[in-house]
Amino acid sequence: MSDTINASVLRKMFLAGAKNLEAKKEWINDLNVFPVPDGDTGTNMTMTIMSAAKEVVALGEPVSMGEMAKAISGGSLRGARGNSGVILSQLLRGFTKIMKENDELDVTLMVEACDRAVESAYKAVMKPKEGTILTVAKGICDKAHELHESGCVDITVFIEELIKEGDIVLAKTPELLPVLKQAGVVDSGGQGLMEVLKGAFDAYLGKEIDYTIDAASATPGTSSVAKDYKGEVTDEDIRFGYCTEFIIMLNKPFNIKHEMDFKSFLESIGDSIVVVADDEIVKVHVHTNDPGMAIQRALKYGALSNMKIDNMRLEHQEKLFKESEKAAAGVHDGTGLAEDTKVTIEACGDAAQCSDNAVPAERKPFGFIAVSVGEGLDEIFKSLEVDMIISGGQTMNPSTEDFVNAAAKINADTIFVFPNNKNIIMAANQATFLVEDKKLVVIPTKTIPQGITAIINFVADMSIEENVAHMTEEIALVNTGEVTYAVRDTTIDDKDIKQGDFMGIGDSGILANGKDLAEVVMAMTDEMVDEDSELISIYYGDDVSEDEANEISELISEKYSDCDVELQFGGQPVYYYIMSVE
Amino acid sequence: MGRVAVVTDSNSGITQDEGEKLGIFVLPMPFTIKDEDYFEDINLTQEDFYKLLKDDVDIATSQPSPDSVKRLWDSVLKDYDEIVYIPMSSGLSGSCQTAIMLSDDYDGKVQVVNNQRISVTQRQSCLDALRLASNGSDAAAIKAVLEEVKFESSIYIMLDTLYYLKKGGRITPAAAALGALLRLKPVLQIQGEKLDAFAKARTVSQGKSIMIEAVKSDMEKRFGGIDPNKCGLYMAYTYDREAAEAYREEVLKAFPGFQIHMDPLSLSVSCHIGPGALALACTKKLKF
Repeated sequence: MSDTINASVLRKMFLAGAKNLEAKKEWINDLNVFPVPDGDTGTNMTMTIMSAAKEVVALGEPVSMGEMAKAISGGSLRGARGNSGVILSQLLRGFTKIMKENDELDVTLMVEACDRAVESAYKAVMKPKEGTILTVAKGICDKAHELHESGCVDITVFIEELIKEGDIVLAKTPELLPVLKQAGVVDSGGQGLMEVLKGAFDAYLGKEIDYTIDAASATPGTSSVAKDYKGEVTDEDIRFGYCTEFIIMLNKPFNIKHEMDFKSFLESIGDSIVVVADDEIVKVHVHTNDPGMAIQRALKYGALSNMKIDNMRLEHQEKLFKESEKAAAGVHDGTGLAEDTKVTIEACGDAAQCSDNAVPAERKPFGFIAVSVGEGLDEIFKSLEVDMIISGGQTMNPSTEDFVNAAAKINADTIFVFPNNKNIIMAANQATFLVEDKKLVVIPTKTIPQGITAIINFVADMSIEENVAHMTEEIALVNTGEVTYAVRDTTIDDKDIKQGDFMGIGDSGILANGKDLAEVVMAMTDEMVDEDSELISIYYGDDVSEDEANEISELISEKYSDCDVELQFGGQPVYYYIMSVE
Repeated sequence: MGRVAVVTDSNSGITQDEGEKLGIFVLPMPFTIKDEDYFEDINLTQEDFYKLLKDDVDIATSQPSPDSVKRLWDSVLKDYDEIVYIPMSSGLSGSCQTAIMLSDDYDGKVQVVNNQRISVTQRQSCLDALRLASNGSDAAAIKAVLEEVKFESSIYIMLDTLYYLKKGGRITPAAAALGALLRLKPVLQIQGEKLDAFAKARTVSQGKSIMIEAVKSDMEKRFGGIDPNKCGLYMAYTYDREAAEAYREEVLKAFPGFQIHMDPLSLSVSCHIGPGALALACTKKLKF
């Protein structure tokens, strides 16, 4: 092969890397340690890289290294969401610093670019943790140095060796992070990075890339996520018997929220899910034991066509495997990159919801942006005079750009940002560098109750620094617990959790789990309350009726008579109860 | 140079007994309850008052009648040459305005101080006036000094409920907007003019720490530093003395070296903020 990579080749590699990540997205989502049905690493990383890919596509061809570097760096920075997404965007940004200064990259320059990438990524994280995407990136970087020093100049060999090393480091992540080991998974962010590199390398080799092979077979079922995804599919792996596919002809807009809802519904009844939407149609592919439920749900969005249902168990393993590839391929055909990313970008627009559309003419000293999820919680934030609410804390992590857009709509000198989710803090932090005419101050609230407490404790007469100190101090005293259900079997904190179990998750791990919702809530509360506790706040979710919530609230009032108990409608999806004790 | 008397109203928290000991004349504030007139600390005790308040009996406050003001002044002027009259804040009541008008008939013998104090800070003004008088200042000079430093005090009050404030209509729109959906503990501020919203808290301990921070910030930025020689520290409360004592311990820890004067809030203030309120106040000490 050759000793250098030019802009045109790199363009193909980058887009192929992005597409490969996208194809593996659901599977990477399954690697999440906490088996909670919420915003996931695969989705976050994909949306981050797709934001960059869209800008690269928009440049057209021919393209210079400089232009492309700018597009990748800027696009991924703005699209960054979730911690892994932010780290990925920093890796790309670091890499492009070397790209933009050179028309062609050889091994020497790539080693340098790897250095810059790792350097940027480590800087983006306040307390870098090993056993994560950072470790994988660093391992690759070290290997790059080693190869370079040993005189390697062949790019094919170079990249091949880097990928091998990356896989080795990735396989070791469970040894570095006990939570991964317990859950029986490798680090999802690291896996995402490997998918990007593998996609890019395939493109470099000029392979005819069929991403769909892995889209279908890379999700062999939640029970085997810890296995190598290239492992043979056996009969036992067919947990869902019917390969079901159809097209929905939309009768109303299908935004990212609908897409997430629909996907999580499909996830609840099957696997190997592919949902691809454009303005008019949605292509759907799912393996399920109850195709009727998938169809019934789909009818909510429009009329159906091109329906096809196969009984996979009846057919020979080998043949069946090909069928599912073909099925998934059919879903993917005709949806090019540009279309995919278009959906993503529109979703960003949708994700940022205005509490007040008009930009107020008068500039005020302070403004507030809060990430919220659910009608009731939105209302609570509004009543606390939050200017902009970005929806989708749990189901869809907002991107850096969502924060930038929200800030643009507030006419204030200083804007306080409350991410209210530990997975969103980094994307918010990144936004502070992109907004120039206003000062963005991120209060690192990890949960909704922390956000509420922080905003309440804001004092207009105090300086920014005093407020930051005061709010940060107060949020440290808020104890949060959230109750949801497990999407798969796992072991965390030495607790055996079965799929479908209710789980009470506290600030530092699982507090309670079991089959009975009320019991889990009570057990979780017990872990949270101590003798200094004054107030127990309960925000009940969309899937809980008011009566049920009242009952729980009364039980808690009775048991903790020293505390005030306040029940509010939160309306959040996925989490039955969000609670705080302070 | 003649003798100067210090006269105030019962909003200063100075009781009739204490006034007698200090040599300060205290005009009792009037209340109308079920069409009957009562006077603070004369025929209306704190206990009776809170019992009525809890029973949701309508209690009307009013400024002292011009007649009662003049009668007190006249009687004091029998023994003194001049009066410094320190009524409750003009931002909270019209009684200061009335007194200024009444003083026109006294040829400058009665100097009405309009320094917008109430409760423990009003009390401090009275003590300062007493000391200035004993140092030989005349009434006009005392008035000038006290009015010059009128903004050098802050009071923060954490309410248990907004109910009484809303009921009495004594709340600015900003404060009324507090606590829309969630149950909050509002922290109000009295500084100069009106009672206004300062901050809000989710729990009592958050409110307590907000007040401590606010007072620290006032001392540092406005009153020359957190120093017992430069600043005075005060507390007031409504109804719940035990809670106030507990808070006093916390405040003393936060302000080592300070002494705290604590009073129950006067009834005409309590009437509008209800039971269970805690207040923390500070002033810049006068240099003599």
